Amino acid sequence: MQNPTPATPLLKVDGITMAFGGIVAVDNLSFSVQPGEILALMGPNGAGKTTTFHVIAGVHSPDHGTITFDGHEITRARPDRRCRAGLARTFQITQPFDELTVVENVMVGAIAHHRSMAEARVEARRYVDMVGLSERADILAKGLSTGQRKRLEMARAMATRPKLLLLDEVTGGVDMASVPGLIDLVKRLRGEGLTLIIIEHNMRVITELADRAIFMNRGVRMAEGTPAEIARHPEVIELYLGEDDGHG
Amino acid sequence: MFQPVKPSQWLVIAAAILVMAAVPLVTRNSYLLHVLILTMIFGIFASAWNLVAGFGGMKTFGHHAFFGIGAYVSALLSIKAGWSPWLTIWFGALAATGAGLFIGLPILRIKSMSHVAIVTLGFAEIVRIVISNLQTITRGELGLWGIRPFEGFTLPFFGEITFSPADKVPYYYLILLLLIGSTAVIMLLMRSRTGLSIIAMRDAEDAAESLGVNLTRQKLLVFAVSAFLVGIAGAFYAHYISILTPTAAVGIDLMILVIAMALVGGLSTFSGPLVGALLLTGTVELLRDLDQYRLLVYGAMIILIVMFLPKGLTTLGPVLRKRFASR
Ligand SMILES: Nc1ncnc2c1ncn2[C@@H]1O[C@H](COP(=O)(O)OP(=O)(O)OP(=O)(O)O)[C@@H](O)[C@H]1O
Ligand SMILES: [Mg+2]
Repeated sequence: MQNPTPATPLLKVDGITMAFGGIVAVDNLSFSVQPGEILALMGPNGAGKTTTFHVIAGVHSPDHGTITFDGHEITRARPDRRCRAGLARTFQITQPFDELTVVENVMVGAIAHHRSMAEARVEARRYVDMVGLSERADILAKGLSTGQRKRLEMARAMATRPKLLLLDEVTGGVDMASVPGLIDLVKRLRGEGLTLIIIEHNMRVITELADRAIFMNRGVRMAEGTPAEIARHPEVIELYLGEDDGHG
Repeated sequence: MFQPVKPSQWLVIAAAILVMAAVPLVTRNSYLLHVLILTMIFGIFASAWNLVAGFGGMKTFGHHAFFGIGAYVSALLSIKAGWSPWLTIWFGALAATGAGLFIGLPILRIKSMSHVAIVTLGFAEIVRIVISNLQTITRGELGLWGIRPFEGFTLPFFGEITFSPADKVPYYYLILLLLIGSTAVIMLLMRSRTGLSIIAMRDAEDAAESLGVNLTRQKLLVFAVSAFLVGIAGAFYAHYISILTPTAAVGIDLMILVIAMALVGGLSTFSGPLVGALLLTGTVELLRDLDQYRLLVYGAMIILIVMFLPKGLTTLGPVLRKRFASR
């Protein structure tokens, strides 16, 4: 940042708590994301990462706490309103529109910005190409493999032209060979001014992409810092102990 | 579905309209015309139900309420207020739309489809009971009779057009126009952003919402359009049959028949409900000779089609092709 005054954060999560029955999935969590930044959310299975995304994107309303996006409080706004405000996300458990083709899936994200369906289709195809699904563009989404579904999730979210994009384990289930391509894609998105939060298990992806990482467990933030700092944290070392670099 | 219509598809549409329009030129058999008129009434009904239940994935089983409301409102306005049926059918359809929005709002929040089914079914049953019990106005099960037919008019080149039980041809062409109009509305709606949104919503609701789809607005819109179309079909039915009873106009049998039509023809397709309406209305009449075995044969036929062609008769071609190709 050349600007001497600290930039106002694009997203500010303030003390959110989200419980399901007896399980406190997210416990008084606070953090903020600066424009243009890539933040990584890490943690073992069940740490509350996806729940944090759900609360930010509006699938769940938190029990406590507030969420401020782009200067507006959105804690209780509907998910579609948040999307129109510039917040997009992918689903860890992919949710393709089975009976629509790949391009049509992406058009659902693109129609908000276009008068005509034909224009939306043209733009949708650009995102389909961008994530490398060109050859599958006109097949029904139910025919896609897991890795392709992850990329479809990305293309759909990108088509809404977000300011902030939440990626939930987009490298999970993707074959190793296509991980570098995904890393390049995210770098390119950031180059275009996008801000991202990525949930990732793959330490190499985090080191390459993230400016900052938050390690959480049982809904609580345990550590925060650069990827290199986080990698030295005892709990992180324990989590990755004895495992290969490419844990996914 | 969202690709431009192919020339071959235009050809099929044009051919179907031409064949239907040509029937009265070939035969004036009033029984055949009657069966085809019923087919087209059911065709509108089944297509409109398919819009909500097939494309929209909302399993509503109460659409016969809209048919009855359209029929009774139009009939009563023409009788009590003395208005022309040409006018009252639109009020009937609007009343059905109002009822659609009324019941549409609460069911939007229900995610469980079996609950949606029960709530809508219950709603229709309430409508039927209310119509039954308002005897001073509707004459209940005694039947509301003496419903005025559409007024005649003069058409250049054709001369005097009269709507009377003796001549079914004017009714035939009127319902054909309504059917073409309804089908066009459904096709245009489905090919628009609303169509894309409701299919997305049906396949993955959370994802659709996260991509900016306003679920409430889109669901209410298709529900209202669907109720309107069913209402207009009901209103036409009232002035065509000229007698209404709650059992015939709001009975659950009606809904079951329409669901069967959509399933047999093919849910979530444009032509399926129309093919189903033609087949089932036709067979009901053809099977009359079988007397008490009629329903048995009828039921068996529906079960066989649904078992062997789970996606409906419109998939018969592709299924057969696959069969023979794999030999
Ligand atoms: N809708 C729900 N109802 C009940 N419990 C839930 C719900 N969603 C999440 N949980 C619970 O909340 C906790 C956090 O789950 P969450 O999915 O956020 O974890 P995560 O960090 O994304 O894990 P993973 O790495 O496996 O994706 C888990 O114990 C989970 O079982
Ligand atoms: Mg998760």
